[in-house]
Amino acid sequence: MTKHHPERRQAYDEPLWWALFSAGGVCFALFVPSAVLFLALLLPAGLLPADALSHQRASSLLFGLPGLIFVGATICLPLFHAAHRIRHGLFDLTLGSDGTNKWLMYGAAALFSTLALGVVLLGMLR
Amino acid sequence: MHKPPRAHPPLPRNWWLKHRFFIAYMAREATVLPLVFFIACLLAGTVALLRGPDAWQSWLGFMRSPPVVALNALALAASLYHAWTFFQLFPRVMPLRLGKRAVPASLMVAGQWAGVLAVLLLFVWLFGRA
Repeated sequence: MTKHHPERRQAYDEPLWWALFSAGGVCFALFVPSAVLFLALLLPAGLLPADALSHQRASSLLFGLPGLIFVGATICLPLFHAAHRIRHGLFDLTLGSDGTNKWLMYGAAALFSTLALGVVLLGMLR
Repeated sequence: MHKPPRAHPPLPRNWWLKHRFFIAYMAREATVLPLVFFIACLLAGTVALLRGPDAWQSWLGFMRSPPVVALNALALAASLYHAWTFFQLFPRVMPLRLGKRAVPASLMVAGQWAGVLAVLLLFVWLFGRA
């Protein structure tokens, strides 16, 4: 009784995007609130100790293994989470075609993740 | 190849405005938009740090400008709203049992907030001193 639908392709890659989406969701909930509070609100307001994020101290924190973990938890995985949600949001609003949106969104997430990790690796090599 | 006729007419683009549950769903989906802004700020910060002290200072200046602070305050609210809804999903998607007893959902939610607090304390320890 199985009907063959050649026009409906099985999305074999979906588990990968879903895993990245889930991991990004955990990071968005656990790590992003503190990161926004400290780096985007307390730091600009001058509420952190003066040299807590001087160029020298920020460099020593970011350009190392902890920096790689930080970038993974606050940039790369949340980017894939956002890409997945924006892709489905566009589908919900019937904007564009899902095939194109998919590659645009995950492509951008992969590109900027590579850039962020590359910056940390370059900083470690210096 | 025979194409079956569409069973339903296509949804209008504003379907989600017609019920408050759908609006809440779309609002939750939209929490990623301020998140993307914050990630862009952070990415610019890492590049500035790599380029040197002058670039780092100008990035700090950019982060102080009022529209950037306002969008990042929105990102903080969005991340907490995401956390609030996300933590309630966990006990539903993956109920845990200890022996014969089910772990209460409220305990699992509280445990996840404790995780947020632990990360906050880590940040206090990292950035609370020079």
